[in-house]
Amino acid sequence: MTPPPAESVAAMIRPTPVTRDSKANRDLLRVMEGGSLGYFALVALAVGAMLAAGGVWIWQVYEGLGIAGYAHPVFWGAYIVTFVFWVGIAHAGTLISAILYLFRAKWRNAINRSAEAMTVFAVLTAAQFLGIHVGRIWKSYFILPYPNQRALWVNFKSPLLWDTFAITTYATISIVFFYVGLVPDLAIARDRATGWRKVLYTILSLGWQGTSKQWKAHNRTVLHLSGLATPLVLSVHSVVSWDFAMSIVPGWHATIFAPYFVAGAIFSGFAMVLTMMIPVRRIFALEEYITDYHFENMSRFLLLTSIIVGYAYAAEYFIAWYSQVEPEQTSFWKRAFGPYWISTWVMILCNGVFPQLLWFKKLRTNVPFLFVLSMLINVGMWFERYVIIITGLSREYDPAVWGIYTPSWPELVIVAGSFGFFCQFFLLFLKVFPVVAIAEVKELEIHAKAHGEGH
Amino acid sequence: MSEFDRREFLKIIGVGAGGAAASACSDPVEKLIPWVIQPEEITPGLPVIYASTCQECTTGCGLHVRTREARPIKLEGNPEHPVNRGALCARGQASIGRTYHPDRYRSPVERGADGSISALTWEEATAKVASAIKAAGSKVAVLGGQTGPTLSALIDSWLDAVGGGTRVVYEPFAREALREASTAVFGVASEPIFDLTDTDYVIDFGGDMLGTGASPVEHSRQLMGARDARRERGRAARLVYVGPRLDETASASDEWLAPKPGTEGLLALGIARVAYDAVRASGRTPAGDVDAIESVLKPFGPDSVASRTGVPAEAIRRIGSAMAAADRPVALPPGVALTSRRATATNAAVLLLDAVVGAVGRAVTIPPPSEGPVASFRDVAKLIDAMRSGDVSVLLVHDTNPIYSLPPDSGFAEALEKVGLVVSFASMPDETSERAGLVLPDHTTLETWGDASPRPGVRSLVQPTIRPIFDTQSLGDSLLAIARALGQERAAGLPSGSFRAVIESAWSDTDFRAALKRGGEFSETGASLAPGVSPGIARLEFKEPTFEGDGSFVLLPVPSPLLTDGRGANLPWLQETPDPITKIAWQSWAEVSETAAAELGVTPGDVLSIETPYGEAKVPVWPRGGIRDDVVALAIGQGHQVGRYASAAQEGAEGRVRGASVISLLPSLTDESGGRAWLAAKARVTATGSFQRLPFTQGTDNKRGRLLGESISLVALAKGESPWAPNQGAFMAAAPHGEEHGGNGDASDDHGGGHEGPHEIRRAFDPSDDSEDGDPFRWGMTIDVDKCTGCSACVVACTVENNIPMVGEEGVLRNRQMSWLRIERFVGDGYQQLQTGRPGPQNHEALGDTDVRNSPMLCQQCGAAPCEPVCPVFATYHTPSGLNGMIYNRCIGTRYCSNNCPYKVRRFNWFDYQITGWPEPMPLMLNPDVTVRGQGVMEKCTFCVQRMQAARQDAKSAGRDVPEDGAIQTACQQTCPSGAIVFGNLKDEKSRVNTVAEENAGRAYRALHVLNTRPAIQYLAKVKREEGHGTGHAAAGPVRPEKSA
Amino acid sequence: MRSIHLTRSLPAFLSALAAAGLLAWAILGESASHADVGSTLVAGSVCEAHELKALAAEDPHVSVEIPKEFDKSFPTREACLSHAAAEDPDSPGPLQPIQFSHKHHAGTYEIDCQYCHSGTDVSPAAGVPSVELCMGCHNQFPKEYDQLEGIRTLKEHWEAKEPIQWEQIHRLPEHVQFQHRAHVRAGFDCQRCHGAVETMDKVYLTEDTIWWPWGLPSKKLEMGWCIDCHRENGASQDCYACHY
Repeated sequence: MTPPPAESVAAMIRPTPVTRDSKANRDLLRVMEGGSLGYFALVALAVGAMLAAGGVWIWQVYEGLGIAGYAHPVFWGAYIVTFVFWVGIAHAGTLISAILYLFRAKWRNAINRSAEAMTVFAVLTAAQFLGIHVGRIWKSYFILPYPNQRALWVNFKSPLLWDTFAITTYATISIVFFYVGLVPDLAIARDRATGWRKVLYTILSLGWQGTSKQWKAHNRTVLHLSGLATPLVLSVHSVVSWDFAMSIVPGWHATIFAPYFVAGAIFSGFAMVLTMMIPVRRIFALEEYITDYHFENMSRFLLLTSIIVGYAYAAEYFIAWYSQVEPEQTSFWKRAFGPYWISTWVMILCNGVFPQLLWFKKLRTNVPFLFVLSMLINVGMWFERYVIIITGLSREYDPAVWGIYTPSWPELVIVAGSFGFFCQFFLLFLKVFPVVAIAEVKELEIHAKAHGEGH
Repeated sequence: MSEFDRREFLKIIGVGAGGAAASACSDPVEKLIPWVIQPEEITPGLPVIYASTCQECTTGCGLHVRTREARPIKLEGNPEHPVNRGALCARGQASIGRTYHPDRYRSPVERGADGSISALTWEEATAKVASAIKAAGSKVAVLGGQTGPTLSALIDSWLDAVGGGTRVVYEPFAREALREASTAVFGVASEPIFDLTDTDYVIDFGGDMLGTGASPVEHSRQLMGARDARRERGRAARLVYVGPRLDETASASDEWLAPKPGTEGLLALGIARVAYDAVRASGRTPAGDVDAIESVLKPFGPDSVASRTGVPAEAIRRIGSAMAAADRPVALPPGVALTSRRATATNAAVLLLDAVVGAVGRAVTIPPPSEGPVASFRDVAKLIDAMRSGDVSVLLVHDTNPIYSLPPDSGFAEALEKVGLVVSFASMPDETSERAGLVLPDHTTLETWGDASPRPGVRSLVQPTIRPIFDTQSLGDSLLAIARALGQERAAGLPSGSFRAVIESAWSDTDFRAALKRGGEFSETGASLAPGVSPGIARLEFKEPTFEGDGSFVLLPVPSPLLTDGRGANLPWLQETPDPITKIAWQSWAEVSETAAAELGVTPGDVLSIETPYGEAKVPVWPRGGIRDDVVALAIGQGHQVGRYASAAQEGAEGRVRGASVISLLPSLTDESGGRAWLAAKARVTATGSFQRLPFTQGTDNKRGRLLGESISLVALAKGESPWAPNQGAFMAAAPHGEEHGGNGDASDDHGGGHEGPHEIRRAFDPSDDSEDGDPFRWGMTIDVDKCTGCSACVVACTVENNIPMVGEEGVLRNRQMSWLRIERFVGDGYQQLQTGRPGPQNHEALGDTDVRNSPMLCQQCGAAPCEPVCPVFATYHTPSGLNGMIYNRCIGTRYCSNNCPYKVRRFNWFDYQITGWPEPMPLMLNPDVTVRGQGVMEKCTFCVQRMQAARQDAKSAGRDVPEDGAIQTACQQTCPSGAIVFGNLKDEKSRVNTVAEENAGRAYRALHVLNTRPAIQYLAKVKREEGHGTGHAAAGPVRPEKSA
Repeated sequence: MRSIHLTRSLPAFLSALAAAGLLAWAILGESASHADVGSTLVAGSVCEAHELKALAAEDPHVSVEIPKEFDKSFPTREACLSHAAAEDPDSPGPLQPIQFSHKHHAGTYEIDCQYCHSGTDVSPAAGVPSVELCMGCHNQFPKEYDQLEGIRTLKEHWEAKEPIQWEQIHRLPEHVQFQHRAHVRAGFDCQRCHGAVETMDKVYLTEDTIWWPWGLPSKKLEMGWCIDCHRENGASQDCYACHY
């Protein structure tokens, strides 16, 4: 998409009656106004993709999972891959809002809002796949531990059940977090909005007046929520990783999985934040608020997590060799040199090698480069899950039933649809909520004035 | 959950008496429809078993037809029948589907000149045939397959009655050469019977007796009994195979020789000569004309034979003297694949060898010549000439499909055009009936009366077990009706009653009811002769056969162990069962050696053009190690144009040919005796450059030294060293010494408690711990890999018993076949090179290497099952009796259980197979005791839990607490010809499943045991019967990984 | 399932209407016929005769006239009533193709359940009597019984050698493998699951709902209901006992 020239963006702003209003308010609220053709085109695209996927999914429910590419013995495919991918994406938000908050990393303020939003949307997207993947969606309520006269209970030993709980918990917390952070800004928006927006914000801002009492309460809430959310950042993807680590499949059954997955998740999360924020900043001219400084910090994170992930890859291969367990060795050999070698090398290059370029400050601050890189990382992380799941299953203990899986087009449509699903929410978010935490930004400005430290 | 559910039966109980055809609607059953008159032997809900005879091939095995509510739902062998003793082959198991086949003719039909089809009533049809015959006078001919004696006699007398005419019996796989040879060697024109019971040295000259031979079920039982590794004699027993290709028998053999195709006879003579000298040296004399023997054997010294056959002289000498020394040796004649233009001589040579080593009268018996017409290819040729010259105006075809099974070269198709009226009695459409003017559909075996006499002393009855589903009529009754329509004077010579009456009168010399109950009349002492060698043998000329065509490959037409001569091709159960050797389903493939493939520059699936002077076929290639370089092998049976499953019509393309028919490449030539010569052409083989993915069902035959399909040398067995003791290297099953103390091994030790020495280690855990203490059962199995021939009877039995749907070629291409039981075929211990050098999954065979392990793989019902903990909803769980329960209606289809199953024995319902898989009237054959699975649920082997429940109920009714051992037989165990599978209660010390494992403790192992899954199935390793032989690839690659990641 | 019930019950519903109409017509017509013969009630059938006799017996003022041909003892009054009750569309349960009264057979005449439903003690399935079995008795009964529509229908089926298509009332899902013999052997009365059939002219699915904690209802023939009984009686609760 080509960003409209800054003038036209400026033209879209109607002169605000309140001239005394602060620049931050004006700049940031401007984003929520109007909507260019390009914007609606994007919305249409996203919704279209989602509907297409929906259609395919209905067909799948009617026809049977067979329309997907599953082939014995590979019984998990693109759906689970994409599920893990989205759960991973969902990590940056909470990390930024919670952990960085606790560490008082100021630079988070400019990006935490959008990151949190992404978290919420990504979790919702991921949750879809739990349903899409099962064979009998109409019976999937069996997985909920509800009292029933059949005296049937769920199996708490099953990682899939842990998954269900982990995802729901995470969704709840991240939504609450997102909303609490929004309240002061909604109030700002309320004071300036008219029409339906006025109504909406009035309701949502819960009568926020910005009194010191409220601020105190607000800050304490955020602090405590961060405390709550921090362990979740680590727990959710650990649990997801146990879907694999708890099995006996060669290439899955590894103790390294939890930290490995968490690092990967944060990695992909930040990449997604970059992928989303770079165009947003360009289009809505937010350079003042989302500065290269932020991007550089994020790329530092990318670099760190990329190293961790790269180390995990190496460790897996080392252990495979060191264990002298033949199926493990074979499994890993087939990863790199078997039928799925392409995905494996894509994963290694995109996640392990390319990000090393971030050692150079020039590149860390080169926005176009960061954009491309973040794209590559998204691809790489999707393939990481593909490699783990598919190659693991296709080369298991009994050589007589080694098989090959290739995704079918309906699967790919649904995967594509999940991106549409995610994007439509994000696009909506751009127009309905302040994309940057205004209040917090102001806070920073005040600090800046006070201590003369700038960026 | 299911549309065609078992209540379908209740719904149609009325049909048995009411006669109203049941239509399967998709609503659940709402009506209870009882009988009008309930047969007193039938109790709804309980099976009734009738004895009958299998008509799928000419062997004549006894059947027990298991019926529910007057509907056959499963065929099992008749334990009393001397031929099969309760077992049944894959073909027999699948033959139940003929009765419920959706293709069947619903009524007599007439095909107009314009090819339009119109249904007729029986009166009309009979009248039409009668008038045609009246017009034809003596220009009537009956062409048919081998039938039971009574029907055969009826046909003859019918022909006389209607005014004469010719009768031709035609069996594509008739063994005329053998009969002719026995005439030459013994002066008796009959097929010798080979009894392998207790033999200690068997040499099969390409007959593939275990797969496609004269009586595979019987021979598997006898041979595997003789080779039972528990007995010293059994361990010493040897099986030598001679043939160009590694087939089922070769895979089971201890030594495999691959002489030039067609020279098997010379090899036999060479061996006979060595044996003869040894026999004479030991002061014995073969019965019969010694001079004739000597004169025949003279020119065949080991060295000359070696040069002519390509078999080393050393081997000839060794085998010859071994046979002479053996206590009960026997040599078996070649089968279809090797009936060259010198087939009679070849067979004679083998019989001569039998005579020399004194097998005649012991392992080989010569029955007196059978009365009645016998199949003769020469007569078929005569008939074709007659047809061509217009001397046949009415041709009646029954029980055979000549258009398919005769080579185009024979000109049958053209000759058929000249016949005024062709009447077919086929029960479902085939290539021939599609060209018939009239079709008078015959009953299927399960609907008709009949009999069979497989051999002297064995008479076997066929009785109807279901009311005809469609408006059909048995062949006998049709003939009688036609005769009567011709008028009294003609019918006068014929029996007045129905065909049933004819049968009864034919059996009037016995207690018919008793015979019906028992399945026939079985007296072990059939009249048989033990003649000496007659001088007639000198007539024969022993030399290499000639081949038509100038190609560089000998074209080897291999009879398929499943599709036989193509008659099985329209039975989906046989199509979907993987070929025991190549593991390919639903398709044709061409086998060439890897060397040849390399020269042609083709890899598996590349399409070859195979060209003989008689035709060309394009077939995807399947390179193998186990075939001679100068041979291209094509299986007989595919290449049909007609039939929903036989042709590719199912895949949408109506009438598209499925696979290729090798018959279309063959000449219509005969051997010396006039028998059909199959091995008579050379082919030019070229790569076409196109590719076709082959639906093969096995990943690789390299077991990579993992604890699957094990084998053990006699030495190790004697020493009691089994290399796979659990505390040894994780997956180094075949490691020479336990230098690897893998962590996994220790894990399994922890469960078993302390133990020193191999024995304790082998029993590192007691599977009977894995059921609840209160529960009297822990179900388990013992599978003897040494006895498994890979015949796949168990696979089909399981499919029929458990309502397992067919997924078709498309499904198999995605490995979605639903079979709960598969037979894994591994060659050697495999090697763990991380990448396999050669292309293709079947790349570890080698010429002369017989180290093939067929290891049936089904749910191991683990004690510590990986599938159980991962199911979020307890759809799979551990039952009190120690089974891994699988509750379909609880399953939500996360498929985690399958991912976590190291044996990969779980199958998923990708589509609503219960609808697509069972076209009308197939739902009638569903087993009402087994839930038909719906879309989106996982399924797997249950150890036939429905049979357990029934048996436990029966036991309780009989006042016993638990069923006694053997009362419960799983479907696979029940049908296994070689008795490789034993099922029982592990908690019962005296149960056979325990004793067998105990007696074979030396070679007992559990698949992938080091994963500590505590399987309930105990495998018994294949025995390598000669040290240093057949270790195959143990040498090809070190057991430890060469490379590491 | 429910929806299927609707569609299924439609024909039953129509026939019920028809039957109701017939009944009404019969009653009205009767009263009409009384009207023109002054206050004398004339019986139109043996069954009516029974009723009029009874009427006369309790109220001497009513004058009734019983034509000779209707002055019979068979079919008995009780049989007539049962027959009528069995085709009463308002009573619970579906209308059966034959106005068969379990009350009449199992109740009044105390025929053992397993005389007709034979094999129930040895087989997983409960036998449903064949037409032959019905005729076994009904052949011996006097001709008069043919006045009952049900008997006529039965004999028609017998002549036509056509099975009777009964409406199924106690139906388990297809994935349940129920063993009648086990329960009969264990000494359970048929009534435990089928209700007091011997008191019903027209059989219907009796209400027997168990209330679990958390106010969970478990209706008859539902899994919870089965489990509950299995638990009480220490029977197997292994899933494989019923699902395979």
